[in-house]
Amino acid sequence: MTTPTPPPVPGSAPTASAEIYDRGYRRYDGPRTGVRGASRSVWVSSVQRALGLRRKFRFKIVPILTILIAYVPAIAFMGIAVLLPSEFAGEVVADYAGYFGLISIAVILFTAFVAPELMSTDRRTGLLGLYMASPLNRGNYLVAKGTALMSVLLLVTMLPIVFLLVGYSFVNLGPDGFGETVELLGRIAAGGVLMSIFFTLIGMAASTLTNRQGFASAGIVMLLIGSGALAGGLVEAAGVRNEVQLASIAGLPFEVIARIFDAPNEPIQDVSTWEAVGAYAAVCLISIAVIAWGYRRLEVTK
Amino acid sequence: MHTAAVGTPTSPPPVISATAVSKSWGDHRVFSNLTASVTSGVTGLLGSNGSGKTTLFGMLLGLHHPDGGTLSVLGEDPSNAGPELRQRIGYSPEHHSLPNDVAAQDFVRHIAQVHGLPTREATTRSSDALWLVGLGEERARPIGTMSTGQRQRVKLAQAIAHSPDLILLDEPTDGLDPVQRDDMLELIRRVGTEYGIDVVLSSHLLEEVERIADNVVIIAEGQVAAAGPIDELQTGRGGMIVVVTDRQAQLMDALRATGLDVRDDGSRLIVGADIGADELSDTVRDAVARVGAPLRRMSPMQNSLEDIFLAEVHGR
Repeated sequence: MTTPTPPPVPGSAPTASAEIYDRGYRRYDGPRTGVRGASRSVWVSSVQRALGLRRKFRFKIVPILTILIAYVPAIAFMGIAVLLPSEFAGEVVADYAGYFGLISIAVILFTAFVAPELMSTDRRTGLLGLYMASPLNRGNYLVAKGTALMSVLLLVTMLPIVFLLVGYSFVNLGPDGFGETVELLGRIAAGGVLMSIFFTLIGMAASTLTNRQGFASAGIVMLLIGSGALAGGLVEAAGVRNEVQLASIAGLPFEVIARIFDAPNEPIQDVSTWEAVGAYAAVCLISIAVIAWGYRRLEVTK
Repeated sequence: MHTAAVGTPTSPPPVISATAVSKSWGDHRVFSNLTASVTSGVTGLLGSNGSGKTTLFGMLLGLHHPDGGTLSVLGEDPSNAGPELRQRIGYSPEHHSLPNDVAAQDFVRHIAQVHGLPTREATTRSSDALWLVGLGEERARPIGTMSTGQRQRVKLAQAIAHSPDLILLDEPTDGLDPVQRDDMLELIRRVGTEYGIDVVLSSHLLEEVERIADNVVIIAEGQVAAAGPIDELQTGRGGMIVVVTDRQAQLMDALRATGLDVRDDGSRLIVGADIGADELSDTVRDAVARVGAPLRRMSPMQNSLEDIFLAEVHGR
C-alpha cells in the first residue's frame, strides 16, 4: 500500500522551497455553487474534452483537423482577394451563405467525433451515475452537455464566417457601412447558431442510442450523409417531388441558412421557406424526443 | 421483522431513517416494509447480491422514489430535497470503470466542483483527498493506468473531496486482493472516525463489515433482518459460556430443568436462550448456586456477524 502520508525525512530542516502536500482533512463550510456551478463545471469539462485539452495529443488530432478544414478555405479566399483585382476576386471567392456549405464536411466530422465523446463516454464509464448523485439531474445535465457541444460546434460553424467577414472587410469585399455590417453579422450569428443547434441535437440523439462511441460516430455519419444520398437519388433517378430533398438531414440547416441569406439552394428553390423551417424543426423535435426517451429510461446507479 | 434501531434513544437524530419503505421494479419486489434507522459512525449495509443495496443507495440519493413509506437522509426527504441534499452526500459506485484518459486529480476536482465547491477550493481539496487515500504522488496519472486498488482509492477520494456529511460506498472493496482490502478498510475506518464523515458501506462480506463498522443493517427478503450496534448484536443474542471446575453434569441438568438450551462443549457449557442477557445471567447464577458448582468463568458468548446473519436470514 502506498502510505497515505509521506514520511518525514529524519533530520531534515525546512527549506525555502519546501512545500506541504499533506494538509490532512479539512471540512468545508463555505458557500456552495449549487446547480449552476455544477452545470458550469460539466460545461467546462465537456468543452475541454471535446477539444482534447488536458489530454494526450492523439485526442487533439480531430479537433485540429476539423478547425483546419473550417478555416483554411477562408484564409485561401482572403489570399485570393488580396492577390486578384477586386472585380475578379468577387467572382472567385465564396459568399457567406456558400461558405456554410463549404464547411459542411468539417461540421459533420466534428459532430460525429465530439457528440459520442461527450455523451456515450459518461454512460460507459459510469460518470453519469456520479453526476446524478450530485446536485445535477438529468435535465440540467443534458442542457450542460448540449450547450458544451453547441459551443464547440460554433467554432466551426459561426467563427469561420466571422473570420471571413473580417478578412473580406480588410480587402474591400466586405459590407458597406456599419448598418450592413451589423445586419450581416446578425445573419451569420443566426446561421451559425441554427446550424450548431441542429447538429448538436442530431449528435446527442444518435449518441443516446448506444454506449459505443464508434457505433454512434458511424451512425451519425451514415444518417447525415446517407439521408442526403437517398433524397438526392430519389429526386434525380425516380423523379419524385422536389420536396423530398428535405429528407436530406444534413442539408436541412444549410437550406434554412440559405434562406436567411436570401439565397435558396438551386435544387430545392421551389420549396417554401416554411417547409424548410418546418422540416428543420421536425428533425430537432424528434431528436429532443429521442434524447428525453433515452435518458428517462436510463438506470444510473449501477 | 426487526425495527432497526441503530443507536440509542438518547442518540442524536438519525443520519438515515426509513419507515415502512417499499419498492418494486416491475413485478420484482425489492423492499417491502423496510424500516431502519442509522446514526452517526460507520454503518455496514449487509445483504446478499441482489438484495437491493444499490437500489437503497439510489433511493437515499433521491434517484429512485419509494413506492411507499418515508425516507429521511440528514433530516431531509431525498425525493424532495434534491440538489441541496445531494451536495452533502458523497457517493462511490460499485463499478470500476472511470474515465481512463483523465488524470486522477482532474477527475476528483471536477466531481468536487460538481458538488458545489468553488474552483480554488476544489483544486486544493482534491489534492488533499488524493494524499489522504495514498495517491498523492500518483495524482497526475491518468486513471486508466491505475490498478483496481488505486481506482477504488480514486473513487473514495472523489466521494470525500467535497466535504460531505455522509458518504455512501457501494462495495468499496470489490475486486481488491486481501492486502488492498485491508488498506481500503483502514482508510474507510479513518474517514468515519477521524474526518467526521458518516459512512454507509454496502457489502456482501460479513467479515469486513464486522471489522470496521460500528453499526450494521442486514437486509434480507426485502426487509431489515437485523440491525443495531454490532457490539450489542454480538452479545445480546449469543447465550453464555459457563466453566465450572466440578459438577458440570449436575449443572447442565439444572440449567436444562429451567428450560434453557445447554450444550456440553468439553470443558465448558454453552448455554443458549431466547431470553435477554440479564435474565440469562440471573438464571445461570442461580443454577450454579443451587448445584454448588465451583464457578470459574461465566461470560456472554460473542457471536460473529456470520452467526447473526445465518440466524436471521436462513433461520427465518
